Amino acid sequence: MEATTNKAVYKKPKRKITLFAVVNTIVFILISIIILIPIWKVLVDSLDAAAGYGMRLWPAKPTLGAYKMILSRADLYRPFLISLLVTGAGTIVGLVLSTLGAYVLIQWDMPGRNLLSWVLLFTMLFSGGMIPTYVVMMNLHLTNTLWSVILPLGINVYNLVLMRNFFEGIPASLFESAKLDGCTPMGIFVKIVLPLSKAALAAIGLMFAVTYWNDYTNFKIYITDNKLFNFQMKLRAMVMDNDLPTDDGSLSTNTIQNAAIIVAIIPFMILYPICQDYFVQGVNVGAVKE
Amino acid sequence: MAQRKSQNHPAAATILFLREKGTLMVCKTCNAEIPKKATRCPECGRAVVKPHKNLYPIAIAGAVISFVGGFFPAIQNSDASKKFNPAYGFMNYEQPALWYLFIALLTASVILCAIKYEKISIATTVLAAVVYAIVYNNICSRHGAPGMQNGLAGALVILGTIVGVAGSFMDVNKNAAERKRKNGELDYQYTGNKTVWQRIYIYRGFYIMFLPVLIFVVIFNYLPMVGLRYAFTDFISGQEPTYVGIKHFVDMFGLSSLSKLSSKHFLTAFSNTLVLSIIKLFLNTFMAVVISILLNEMFNIYFKKSVQTIIYLPHFMSWVVVASIFKMMLSASDSGMFNQLLMNIGLIDQPIEFLTSESTWRGVYYLVNIWKDTGWGTILFLATLSGISPDLYEAAQIDGANRFARMRYITMPALANTIITVFILNLAKVMNLFESVFVMYNPSVYDKSDVLQTYIYRQSFSGGAANYGYTTAVGLFRSVVGCILVLLCNKASKKVRGRGIV
Repeated sequence: MEATTNKAVYKKPKRKITLFAVVNTIVFILISIIILIPIWKVLVDSLDAAAGYGMRLWPAKPTLGAYKMILSRADLYRPFLISLLVTGAGTIVGLVLSTLGAYVLIQWDMPGRNLLSWVLLFTMLFSGGMIPTYVVMMNLHLTNTLWSVILPLGINVYNLVLMRNFFEGIPASLFESAKLDGCTPMGIFVKIVLPLSKAALAAIGLMFAVTYWNDYTNFKIYITDNKLFNFQMKLRAMVMDNDLPTDDGSLSTNTIQNAAIIVAIIPFMILYPICQDYFVQGVNVGAVKE
Repeated sequence: MAQRKSQNHPAAATILFLREKGTLMVCKTCNAEIPKKATRCPECGRAVVKPHKNLYPIAIAGAVISFVGGFFPAIQNSDASKKFNPAYGFMNYEQPALWYLFIALLTASVILCAIKYEKISIATTVLAAVVYAIVYNNICSRHGAPGMQNGLAGALVILGTIVGVAGSFMDVNKNAAERKRKNGELDYQYTGNKTVWQRIYIYRGFYIMFLPVLIFVVIFNYLPMVGLRYAFTDFISGQEPTYVGIKHFVDMFGLSSLSKLSSKHFLTAFSNTLVLSIIKLFLNTFMAVVISILLNEMFNIYFKKSVQTIIYLPHFMSWVVVASIFKMMLSASDSGMFNQLLMNIGLIDQPIEFLTSESTWRGVYYLVNIWKDTGWGTILFLATLSGISPDLYEAAQIDGANRFARMRYITMPALANTIITVFILNLAKVMNLFESVFVMYNPSVYDKSDVLQTYIYRQSFSGGAANYGYTTAVGLFRSVVGCILVLLCNKASKKVRGRGIV
């Protein structure tokens, strides 16, 4: 407990357990409970064949039936696979575009660099809005294809600027020496920039992945074919419109809905504690850098 | 900025600067005097980097006003009840080539001002006005009939031309430029001894690498901006757009007697957008600050880490998931846990319809937002707090400051800057409010919850023959307000922390 201050100029007396510390701890335990209760309730209800009334701490009739159902029925696991596909493809598109753009934007001596960065930054300032974008998509015949949900989110100027901030940390002398050794721009990019910024790739890749996995708006606007719905769309239909799969009646509707929620959040609930530092790093670099 | 650039670029050391010594110009490397119009230093032969001339923002604004004027009708029906139909302007003029010429001339004006040939831009701006005059004359002779009045286009083009011409004589940036040059900021260029074309050749690979990014940006950001012209047309899906001038804007603001009703929905949506996002912003920021200050006082590192892990958690759930969870928890049926709880305690007799009654919807919305995003919002504050030197606290403690005095005089001042930063960053996004409302609202609470984006969505996609022209006009209004907000926030941000947000 004492090791929190490293300077020993003034030797503190052993930290007493003050009233403030006790109250503070209780406050945070309460906050954590408030955050966790809804998640816990969803988890318990998803495992409870008779879910539906009040709050239980433990399932009354434990069953994995709802999950089995989601894994076995095509109309339920198909959206999940589409979510995975879109997330994977989208993250790759997003990372390729942000790294390429960021790498070009750190070439200080390049003529027109300022113009190019203004072309990008202007899109943060002003946008065409929902309907003109929709009309463009329609004219390109992209609506009702997965391209319409993968491509538009792929170019994210904010993430590109973040990536540029990361790249600026790479010492310019590395580029110079590689150039002297005869390395092409693409060679420098692949052999020096990318290996040196694995942390940045992880942080921004995760940001893209979260965006794609949680995407609902783009699916809602561009996709009307329910064969192409992602899991968020399916979940929405299940919970809000009670569009539930017919079953043998052994599970309550609540159980199925809750299980669907758990399935929708499970990838990031697993990934997040492992990658927490990368997520946090991404936020901090965005605002604090420079 | 300048310093970092020079660090990043070793070649910077060989570059020649201009330094003004009284009225004389002196070479930075060999201190020799340089004649006014020389391009190379007489002593060492290095290229002279000319100081920047100034930009002419007023002239650019004039060209933009004229440009916008081109969207408005030249003449229109003066009968307001007919909603300005018919209206005639560039957009439905029989010779579209003249419109393109008009736009090209004004774009040239803007570019000329930006690259410091502002005097030539006078010619292009005036030429654009002449093109308009020709078109106006022609339109009047073709379509001029009793009952037609002049539209806004003429006024805007005249105003834009006057502003553009006058602006090219107004050197508004002069003082700022002088100041910057004294600070040595403007002198910096890496021209070295290579010409632009040589450098472009050296960097040819990079332009190709940028191409994919450029293609994406053009298709998904700039083509839609071109599509904003639908705001001045009636555009029923599946048909060709027909030009109607500013009819939709008149409708939006209820300026004609027929459009009072439709404008009510729009104005509600606009005020809801502002109210919901600004109150949400205040609440979230406040809660995040309180939580991070308290969390900073926790000394058990493991407890602190676990609390952080837990409170960041909801951020990773999509709005659909969050809305689903809370819809089930707050439902008035038997399964609604929250209502059951309140009834068991005895606070209420009847279950409350939290999400479908106008009196509770906003409260629930704010609370759900706090639940989802407060934890994530603490990241920046915690980073700032961990940057405060512990020495400060110890010194204060020796001086006899208690915990609250330390918070008041050390923690709060250190946080103030971050709070303002976060506030400004989020204020710029006020107009983007969409998904969180979209997944939580329902028809019974439209009056309290409808925001501009959801209004646009409903008007466009909820069946029937939607008029994309009208919804594009609403979107254009949203974009313009958003743009103004971003620019204001950018200015504020520059003042507060010395760097903009865009």
